[in-house]
Amino acid sequence: MHIADGILPLAVSVAGYATTSGLTWFSLRRIKQLPDPQAGVPRAALVAAGFFVVSWIHIPIPPTSVHLLLNGLMGILLGWYAFPAILIGLFFQAVMFQHGGLVSLGVNATLIGAPALLAHLLAQLSRQRGWLAPQRQASMGVVGFVIGATALAMSVLLFFAVQLFSFDQIDPTLQRNALLVAVVGYLPLILIEGVLTAMVITFLARVQPVLLGGVATPRPELAGRVASVQEG
Amino acid sequence: MSLFWLDHYAHLSSPMHRWEARYKLIGLFALMFSMAAVNDLRLAPVMLVLAAGCFLLSRLPLGFLISRLRYPGFFLLAVVLLVPLMSGETVLVQFGWLAVRQEGLGLMLVIVARFVSILTVSIVLFGTQPFVTSVQAMAALGLPPLLTEMILYFYRYLSDMAAMLAQMQRAMWLRGFQGHRLSSLPAYATLMGSLLLRSYAQSERVYLAMRLRGYGAAPRSRGQFRATGYDRAALALALMCAAGLVAATWWL
Repeated sequence: MHIADGILPLAVSVAGYATTSGLTWFSLRRIKQLPDPQAGVPRAALVAAGFFVVSWIHIPIPPTSVHLLLNGLMGILLGWYAFPAILIGLFFQAVMFQHGGLVSLGVNATLIGAPALLAHLLAQLSRQRGWLAPQRQASMGVVGFVIGATALAMSVLLFFAVQLFSFDQIDPTLQRNALLVAVVGYLPLILIEGVLTAMVITFLARVQPVLLGGVATPRPELAGRVASVQEG
Repeated sequence: MSLFWLDHYAHLSSPMHRWEARYKLIGLFALMFSMAAVNDLRLAPVMLVLAAGCFLLSRLPLGFLISRLRYPGFFLLAVVLLVPLMSGETVLVQFGWLAVRQEGLGLMLVIVARFVSILTVSIVLFGTQPFVTSVQAMAALGLPPLLTEMILYFYRYLSDMAAMLAQMQRAMWLRGFQGHRLSSLPAYATLMGSLLLRSYAQSERVYLAMRLRGYGAAPRSRGQFRATGYDRAALALALMCAAGLVAATWWL
């Protein structure tokens, strides 16, 4: 899903940076409106590092194995922090492992981060309707599947739209057919992503439901302990 | 795979290491973006010479560069090998229904040259100063404080998370987990959920410990940077090279 440096024309890379700047600004603005924005920073960063590491796990799809993107799950758990967390994760991938790249960072962040924000909005809507309540495991599973699969499907569509827009020298019919085959090839991955997102959120609902409220939600007993120590 | 290879050669002495971090970020980013603008095969050698010049000035070992280029190079090859077959009209070689076309081959060579050049410059950029210095320089150039803090936490705890995952996977294998079938998805979901839980629990401990030490009470330092004439001259040279590449691309 990462586009390497050197593949995209400069105009597309610059447009990617412009979109990423806008989405980052918007996310940071929404984060600053939270009751205690700074409280979420270490939590979001560490959970983002957890996501980064989780994406290294090889999931078997016989005869091969795949890595998950998990942008839907990030949207559910990290909320408005999801976009900055994805941007930072991609920056680290580009700098440390040369996956993606620094020039294509803006495009890659938009491809993966914009669907994560959509996932956050869908999760917010589901919370308001009570579909993400820990006691309703079945509806939670369905919501998890829909959000996980939708976020990856949106990333795949954006990815191929960027490819289609970037290579005007390639025979359009041949390119369209190749992209259609590639999109169909992604379908099993979209299903797996949806299933795993559903499984992870039902697992979290059983063992630590506070996480489903977003990482900016502190555990009340710990927040109370800090307040009492600070007052004392 | 070591996560902290970036700092292995950060303390060498070279013209690139001496270049002040903020100026180096601006200069080399401008150069990388100008390389992304190149779309004419005649400019590919110029771009490669510029990248090679940066690398030679950095005094980083060649093996280090090759080791960093190898892995992403395989991914790129998988993409660009199709380009000569899908692009252009002038057929160079025909193998049955497969035809290698001149225009497509040219496009492929430009993409490979851009990829190698940009990656080389990015490795020089982040390989010639400690990573924390790069982050401080980005903060000094206007990166929002929230992003800066997230990057530093991410960097600090990434290796802890990686070690945690390795330990959990080893424990699963020692208990007989094979994980080669789709039926093992629930076990993978539990592994992923457990790791996210552990990272959340650790973030709680870190946050509370930091709050007790006064986190958030005072603004964070953005690092002490002082530019000299050498830094300004190096920046001017890098910007001239970048402008030259863009102008040549536009002119050709």
